[in-house]
Amino acid sequence: MERIPILKMGKFLLVTIQIDMHDRLALSLQDDLTEMIVKTQAKGVLIDISSLEIVDSFIGRMLNNIASMSKVLDALTVVVGMRPAVAITMVELGLDMKGVKTALDMDRGIELLESMMDQEDSESAQEPESDNDSTKE
Amino acid sequence: MSVVIITLRIKYEEDLVLARQRARHISSLLGFENREQTAIATSVSELVRNAYNYAQGGAVEFSVSDKPLPQMLQIKVSDKGPGISRLDDILQGRYRSESGMGLGILGTRRLMDSFDIKSVPGKGTTVTIGKYLPQQKAPIAPEAMRRITDELIKKEPQSPLEEIQMQNQELLRTLEEIKRRQEELERLNLELEETNRGVVALYAELDEKAEHLQRINEAKARFLSNMSHEFKTPLNSIIALVRLLQEHIDGSLTDEQEKQVSFIRKSAEDLSDLVNDLLDIAKVESGKTTVKPVEFAVSDLFSTLRGMLRPLLTNPEVNLVFEEPVSVPLIFNDEAKISQVLRNFISNALKFTLKGEVRVRVEASENGRYVTFSVADTGIGIAQKDQEFIFEEFSQVESELQKKVKGTGLGLPLSKKLAELLGGSVYLKSSPGAGSTFYARFPIGLAFSDEDQSVQIIPDITAEESTVLIIEDNEAMHLIYEKYLKGTGFNVKTAKSIEEAKAVLEKTIPDVIILDILLPGENTWQFLTELKSGGRFKNIPVLVASVIDEEERGLALGADDYCVKPIERSWLLKKLQTLKSHRKLARILIIDDEAIARYILKEMLPQGKFEVIEAENGKTGLEKAQFYKPDMIFLDIIMPDFTGFEVLDKLKAEPGTKDIPVIINTSKDMDPDEIARLNRSAAAVLGKKDISKARMASQVRDILLNTIKDSKGLKND
Repeated sequence: MERIPILKMGKFLLVTIQIDMHDRLALSLQDDLTEMIVKTQAKGVLIDISSLEIVDSFIGRMLNNIASMSKVLDALTVVVGMRPAVAITMVELGLDMKGVKTALDMDRGIELLESMMDQEDSESAQEPESDNDSTKE
Repeated sequence: MSVVIITLRIKYEEDLVLARQRARHISSLLGFENREQTAIATSVSELVRNAYNYAQGGAVEFSVSDKPLPQMLQIKVSDKGPGISRLDDILQGRYRSESGMGLGILGTRRLMDSFDIKSVPGKGTTVTIGKYLPQQKAPIAPEAMRRITDELIKKEPQSPLEEIQMQNQELLRTLEEIKRRQEELERLNLELEETNRGVVALYAELDEKAEHLQRINEAKARFLSNMSHEFKTPLNSIIALVRLLQEHIDGSLTDEQEKQVSFIRKSAEDLSDLVNDLLDIAKVESGKTTVKPVEFAVSDLFSTLRGMLRPLLTNPEVNLVFEEPVSVPLIFNDEAKISQVLRNFISNALKFTLKGEVRVRVEASENGRYVTFSVADTGIGIAQKDQEFIFEEFSQVESELQKKVKGTGLGLPLSKKLAELLGGSVYLKSSPGAGSTFYARFPIGLAFSDEDQSVQIIPDITAEESTVLIIEDNEAMHLIYEKYLKGTGFNVKTAKSIEEAKAVLEKTIPDVIILDILLPGENTWQFLTELKSGGRFKNIPVLVASVIDEEERGLALGADDYCVKPIERSWLLKKLQTLKSHRKLARILIIDDEAIARYILKEMLPQGKFEVIEAENGKTGLEKAQFYKPDMIFLDIIMPDFTGFEVLDKLKAEPGTKDIPVIINTSKDMDPDEIARLNRSAAAVLGKKDISKARMASQVRDILLNTIKDSKGLKND
């Protein structure tokens, strides 16, 4: 059974989608990735779709799902390398990728992840207070 | 019209990937920009996913429209799924998908230049999308199109998976084709089955119709046979009554009445002919006619016909010519029926010939197996169109002459049926104005021989004289008696011994017996006792003439008179007349439900010779037979309570009545079975129409005689 490889790179997971995925493969990637996040305690996921010539609604939804799930598992997701034609098509198609952060390439993607993590850390440091506040109320 | 580039089957999930890759490849080959390629591939991906998810597969067809510039890439995604139930909601954007993002259809519409969706619930969905070819200056040449197709098909598989996918596609296409053919076959099969059912139903219907027709035909034959019988009974009565009138039995008629009566008779006979013809046809049709082949010579048949048809030759300008048959062998066939056919032909020819001749010829076929009779006339002829139906029942050709001559319209059809019955055929050659020739062809030797079951014909005994049987050993006395009785209306029969007397009594019933007592070596007293003690002879007066005077003994034994020889002539004559008139009448019982029939029968019987008892039904008949012990019974077959057959069986079963001769007197035409049955137990079968006075008298005598023959009292033992 073919699989999309998931590589661990430091504290991030790196997924490079190099083939045109059929839907089941996309779903299994979703499963594998969430499992991997739990297993590696990764804080960030980079998904490289530079090889993808199309992103249709299903793959779009999968990307969205991955992002949401990762967030629940305390990991951030950045999709990198989206082709311009794909981007245009996604917009025309009406795909809403609100929950998905994107970066032009891998480097920027890593930068984005790190900055997001820093921001998150500072947010989480204040969080207990606000939690307390809320409990007080 | 559009040119199809390629069609892909969607069966497996991987096909979705292949479809969008092909879409991208095709659009790149057609010169779409990268961005448009992505849009097209994405659209295809969306639609194919829908087809796969909702209809478990379908097909994608890529084609290029044939329209004037700009041409359009058209992609048709079709499936045979359940259809889209909320199409309007989807198109209005009010629907949220669970699998995609609810954008498939709407998004595709936005991505493409044209969009068309057709969905029939339960039948499937077809989505056709299109995108105009970019910057087109000239239409794509057919060659270019073919190149694109070829390239797509030949495209080298880049991986084993891809190869498998391609082969898979190939297989799917083949399977699809096979499935399509199978469906076609199934459809054809269904159609054939339906046709077959139709044919079967049609056959059943035909069978039913045939059976129906058969029943109708049988009913018709039965009707004709029964009705003809019903007609015949009153007709026979009319004819018989008219004959009685004409014989002046009950007083003479005036000339005018005579004429009227003869007209009545003529009409009744015409009607009777018609009924007989009808009955004949019905009999032939119902297979009741039996063929009775006999060996006969045509020349004999011709002379009979000549005699029979002479009365029809009323027109002096017409000759009836029978050509003498040349080298025609003896014929073994039913002479009566052949004669009937020829009679029909000839009487027909005579009717329609006003001048000239009617010529009857016969010819044997070369192989000697058939004989062909021809009846040629110089009459009015028959038009071609009429020749076809002239052999059909009740068909008569319209003509001036036809109106004048009488005819039932049954003669020719009957001839045809009879000829066919005899293994032959009839046909004609004719042209209007030139006369007609009718042909009848029969086999010379009929292949089968039927047991003769015809009604027993009773020989016609002509003279009705009184007979005196003289039993006397002395031959001189015979001469004396003969002389005495010559010219007195008494017919003398002599016997020299009792044995001889018995022999005479076998043959005839004398009106008076003169018995000599003293016969050498004979017990004449015993004989007298036998005669008088019972049996059929007890009614015959016996006059004992002897030289011995034992009158008391003679009278005691039953003698009607006694005298001592010599006998005087005048005394003898006087005695004979007295005895004859005193003679006990033979008793005849007539069982018939019709008063007219009984009346006619009574009138027919010789006057004063019989005592007639009548019974108007079978039950009374049986009672009267038991009570009166008649000498003879006339029995009708068709009666309201018992049939004649039943009455006959009952009579024959009773010891008191079983020896009484029964004459069946009926108008019913009986089949061979019935005739055979009657012949076993009845003394004779008499058709009511055959009744004539002279014949009746002789038959009655004859039957009484036959019964005497059988009677036990006179058996030689």
